[in-house]
Amino acid sequence: MLQLHDLSVEFDEGFQLKHINWQIQQHQHWLITGANGAGKSALAAVLAGYGEILAGSTSSLPTRIGWVSFEAQAQLIQAELKKDDADILDVISLGTPVREIIFTEEIDPVIAGDLIQKFELDYLLERAFRKLSTGESRKVMLIRALSCHADLLILDEPFDGLDQASHTMLQNHLAHVVTHTQVVMVLNRFDEIPDFISHVAYMEDGQLRHQVKREDTQAFNELYQLLHLKTTHLTVPDADADHKRPTLNPLEPLVKLSNICIKHTDMVLIENLNWCIQANQHWQLSGPNGSGKTALLSLITGDHPQCYTNDIFVFGFQRGNGESIWQIKQHIGYVSTALQWEYRVGTSLANVIISGFYDSIGLYSKSTDQQKHIAQKWLALLGMEGRGDQPFNKLSYGDQRLLLIARAMVKHPPLLILDEPCLGLDDINRQLVLALIEKVCAANETSVIYVNHHAKDRIAGIDHYLALEKSADNS
Amino acid sequence: MSNNYFNTLPLREQLEQLAKCRFMHMNEFTEGVDALKGKKMVIIGCGAQGLNQGLNLRDSGLDVSYTLRQSAITEKRQSFKNASENGFTVGTYEELIPKADIVLNLTPDKQHSPVVAAVMPLMKQGACLSYSHGFNIVEEGMKIREDLTVIMVAPKCPGSEVRAEYVRGFGVPTLIAVHEDNDPQGHGLALAKAYAVGTGGHKAGVLMSSFIAEVKSDLMGEQTILCGMLQTGSLLCFDKMIDKGMDAGYASKLIQYGWETITEALKYGGVTNMLDRLSNPAKIKAFDLSEELKVIMRPLYNKHQDDIINGTFSSTMMADWANDDVNLLGWRAATGETAFEKTPAGDMEISEQEYFDHGILMVAMVKAGVELAFETMTAAGIIADSAYYESLHETPLIANTIARKKLYEMNATISDTAEYGCYLYNHACLPLLADFMKGIDTDVIGRGLASDDNGVDNARLIEVNAALRDHPVEAIGATLRGHMADMKKIV
Ligand SMILES: NC(=O)c1ccc[n+]([C@@H]2O[C@H](COP(=O)([O-])OP(=O)(O)OC[C@H]3O[C@@H](n4cnc5c(N)ncnc54)[C@H](OP(=O)(O)O)[C@@H]3O)[C@@H](O)[C@H]2O)c1
Repeated sequence: MLQLHDLSVEFDEGFQLKHINWQIQQHQHWLITGANGAGKSALAAVLAGYGEILAGSTSSLPTRIGWVSFEAQAQLIQAELKKDDADILDVISLGTPVREIIFTEEIDPVIAGDLIQKFELDYLLERAFRKLSTGESRKVMLIRALSCHADLLILDEPFDGLDQASHTMLQNHLAHVVTHTQVVMVLNRFDEIPDFISHVAYMEDGQLRHQVKREDTQAFNELYQLLHLKTTHLTVPDADADHKRPTLNPLEPLVKLSNICIKHTDMVLIENLNWCIQANQHWQLSGPNGSGKTALLSLITGDHPQCYTNDIFVFGFQRGNGESIWQIKQHIGYVSTALQWEYRVGTSLANVIISGFYDSIGLYSKSTDQQKHIAQKWLALLGMEGRGDQPFNKLSYGDQRLLLIARAMVKHPPLLILDEPCLGLDDINRQLVLALIEKVCAANETSVIYVNHHAKDRIAGIDHYLALEKSADNS
Repeated sequence: MSNNYFNTLPLREQLEQLAKCRFMHMNEFTEGVDALKGKKMVIIGCGAQGLNQGLNLRDSGLDVSYTLRQSAITEKRQSFKNASENGFTVGTYEELIPKADIVLNLTPDKQHSPVVAAVMPLMKQGACLSYSHGFNIVEEGMKIREDLTVIMVAPKCPGSEVRAEYVRGFGVPTLIAVHEDNDPQGHGLALAKAYAVGTGGHKAGVLMSSFIAEVKSDLMGEQTILCGMLQTGSLLCFDKMIDKGMDAGYASKLIQYGWETITEALKYGGVTNMLDRLSNPAKIKAFDLSEELKVIMRPLYNKHQDDIINGTFSSTMMADWANDDVNLLGWRAATGETAFEKTPAGDMEISEQEYFDHGILMVAMVKAGVELAFETMTAAGIIADSAYYESLHETPLIANTIARKKLYEMNATISDTAEYGCYLYNHACLPLLADFMKGIDTDVIGRGLASDDNGVDNARLIEVNAALRDHPVEAIGATLRGHMADMKKIV
């Protein structure tokens, strides 16, 4: 069993892998994935013996390795160029021909010959290796790796630069190879993942963040979505141009709470609080349990009965003057654990998103084609393309949360309130949600109020802070 | 002495009023709450309906305050706390009624006569008095000052649902009516519509009806299928299982949660869907049982409807009110002492499907009760839409209360009027079904059909399926449920 034990490794460029714990059993075929710069290739290179070990240990690294990667390819080309420099005599070097590069002593000539035919490289055998195109030299690398009777094949983005025919050919060939050779593959696109992969390792910041079994479909899907969010260039789908909302006076604050008091029976929850939120400010609201965070927010959303006994100005309305809560809510997107509990409806995923246009839990109005179209775009953005008809209550907890964030965002509200959006989520889902929030903050047409317990947990893009304390007589 | 208003009308008008019911189109509500904007709405009583309707109306931008009887204010009773803690102005009749443009009477029906008598002299000229149930007007014949407009806005759900659905952005089906004797300015309908919008009712469907149709159908539904049948069925099924030596905890649980589970299926696809949840042999069994039950119980349903229509029911009940509720309270205590009520539900798992498979008789009872109530109401001239809401639609809502705390909770949640009707029904129905129950065994209640019982006759199955689908309650149900764009499922 191949093992990396609390391993930290440094590479030339100063890049480090930190505290990697990883075991690969004989019969497993792994995929290493992650966003750019996460350390995928570095981890693969460690298996090939590269990098300087700073701490920890490895055991049972295989001796005979077939390695295909951009780095290995670059190395080989570098070596060829060096040879060129070495010939400072007046004879101009022709460079090593492909035939020599391929047919070294480790190579099984029968297999190699077969692959040369399949890749249609015959006509290039006499050409200098360094003269090959990237795609052609990649094929040479593949042939070498696949013909050396390796104990372990490390295939780092093996499909990169291959034309469609070679791509298919390689996939078919690998399906056969894996019956007798272990494979570790690096890919940053999940949709290319071959069937034989049994495990996935997810890298982030030089750390091995998640290890997931292929057969654990739920974890596998979440990983897929996480990667999708991290690697695709996200553009937040447009609002519905036909679904109009009154424009706000840009000179007025979005929210102005003055001298707020919230009392329950004989307990004072919040006293004399002032809070003004201007357009385009991003706020973090923090405070311990019971400090009144959610109550304070529900004054803004109109869900707290005491919003009629306080001095509250929201979206152009001084509360208690004949406005309805729906006139307030149309300006707000809202996500909380409580909302998720309340949202226990058998509605379809698409309709959950569309319900954001109507601020309803469940959908009670006929949606337009435009709205359906927008919902599809959001689903695609969340990595849930084609799942619009599935029932919401059958989704995993984390997926539900993502969907509710999309619901909150779908109308591009001036104010987005995220009340402990990561509460109850596991690590993958937490990262998914945070990735989405950062995209939203960066888009900058929505002010965000982000709520959590800890004032210290800061989020990129947030620049205003309000910390509540537990009031003294609130025991 | 009260005078039954309905009985004072000539037959032609009685029939006309009973048949008054029309499902309103969404575009009849385009004016929203405008008719009530800036008007002072004062609610009397802050209980289940009072509090929740008030919260909705205020959130719809209307001016709501509460008036309570002096003792409730002085003693800071729950109704006072409900209103004041939610940030509403609370005052005495003298303080608030004279300023009110609309007075919403949301006190218990039994109290309506004294309450209305107390507030009417304080109401300003031309104001409006509204009810959420027409008992006082129809059965007690309350006469309202001629200058006042009298309307009804009756949500067809308990108060908690009225609020919960509003908060979701929806509403509950609502019946509105104008008392034709009291519409001097001709704006009763406009006010009732705006009020229905304020509570969110227009989103779930509004029936334009009459005080009379509302009362006669509401009473019929609640005392027969809704409360009476579930109460009677609970006791009979429980005793049968115990009789046959089944575990009491299991029997208690099967019934307590069974009603809720099986009637949930009604909500989505009516009686047909509820029976479709059974295996084919079980479906045929349930169908046959329900046919038998319908034959036995039809005279009882007819009697209830007749007594309601001719006023016997309300006069009997009012006599009991006058007699310090001796009958009602005696029966309430007796219910508390029944074996079913006293046996806690066991902690075994019962899967959703098992509630159907082991509750074939319960399914049959629900089917028989819903269909009989619907048939009897429509035969009495009540329009199908209204009969549907008062029978099938409300059954799951009542079943939910039994799941919470058995019959005690059900009887505590429903009105005194419903409870009294339930008492009458239960008293008559228990002996009526005694013979029928002798032939019942655990295959239809408690254990389910034996697995070798699998054969069905195709022709019979086709017949049963057709009969289920052809019942008139199914057609109107499909239409009305269709109005609720996206049936929500509370899991
Ligand atoms: N429950 C339902 O499902 C439902 C559905 C539709 C319509 N309705 C109708 O709505 C109305 C109210 O029913 P509810 O269920 O809301 O009643 P409830 O919960 O019993 O509340 C009644 C309120 O009236 C007050 N009250 C009682 N007796 C009074 C009196 N003599 N004078 C003044 N106030 C009095 C009570 O407060 P204090 O005792 O503290 O004074 C309480 O706040 C009824 O007409 C009912 O038919 C009910």
